[in-house]
Amino acid sequence: MPVEDKSKSLLPFLSSPKLLPDESEAEFQSGLQSLLSELDNPSSLAVALVSQLNECLWWVRRHTADKELLLHEAMARLLSKAGNHWDTYDNHKVSEALERYLNGSADKGEAAWIDDILAESKLTLSDLRVRAFKDAARHIKMVDDLIHRQHQTMRHLQRSIDSIGYKSRLIKRMDLELAALESKQHARGVLSLDDKPS
Amino acid sequence: MTINHRRSLTNRCNALKSTGPRSVAGKRASSQNSRKHGLNSAPNFESSLEYRALVELIAEEGFSAFACADITAGLLNYRRVMDAYYATYTSPEPVDEFLRDANVKASNPIFRELLSPSGSEPADVRDMAAFFCEHAEAGAAKGWPGIPPLFGYS
Repeated sequence: MPVEDKSKSLLPFLSSPKLLPDESEAEFQSGLQSLLSELDNPSSLAVALVSQLNECLWWVRRHTADKELLLHEAMARLLSKAGNHWDTYDNHKVSEALERYLNGSADKGEAAWIDDILAESKLTLSDLRVRAFKDAARHIKMVDDLIHRQHQTMRHLQRSIDSIGYKSRLIKRMDLELAALESKQHARGVLSLDDKPS
Repeated sequence: MTINHRRSLTNRCNALKSTGPRSVAGKRASSQNSRKHGLNSAPNFESSLEYRALVELIAEEGFSAFACADITAGLLNYRRVMDAYYATYTSPEPVDEFLRDANVKASNPIFRELLSPSGSEPADVRDMAAFFCEHAEAGAAKGWPGIPPLFGYS
């Protein structure tokens, strides 16, 4: 059975991992296929384990984005509290403006606005990032723990995949040894027949 | 008496009068109060269709019946945990309306004034808080730990 068919036959039983609305299904599947392509004729069990491994990688990716988002929100929160501007209180507005400012896609007005708040709070962008990191450190550590757990799961899955491969390698080796023993036995039989006096 | 202590007493008084959440957001938040992930319940995979189909698939690879059952239960359990993980990750955190309001007040200069005892609470709440404060102080003077009960039974 081809690898794609094997993974498809397992999906109804293992229920495919759910993706967030802004995540690409095609990207997820291409990651899975690239992992599967590294295995030589994988079994159904290996396909199941590799799909779990791919899911772990996906979660690590999600959580890494979460960390960046936490830092960004903490920066926006600090900015929105800075100064005495009433319009800066809107966290969402500051967050969006800051995102565009950091991407370099902010218009002149927005860039000047962010610069003003930074100047008012006597902070540079790197200072703001450091302070935001300090504020969000507890939450970032929680996400780091989640990433660490995913890494541990990945390590276990890799061991399981290796042990499946080891089993098939062992069976192949035993088959070869058996064939070698049989051929030796056959050769001995022939020799013993030759030794008999006619 | 610190403002925090007074505030917590006021909250207790208000909680006694509470008839539950009224706003849509509050009802939505409290609807999640008894929410559970279900991971503590013992799963019964053996009777499911998925279990039997997976056991058959894995048995084709030459594993023993015991190993097949073990591996299949492990795979299905992993799926169960990851589905719960996803559900927890995507479900919004229940909103504590009081804390949210307090955060808004604390982070905004204009609302900070409302946190003062003379500004935000109605007079009857202040009276009740004062009563509880006196009661607590009387208890403390007698050496009782915490706030003593209001009514004693003989």
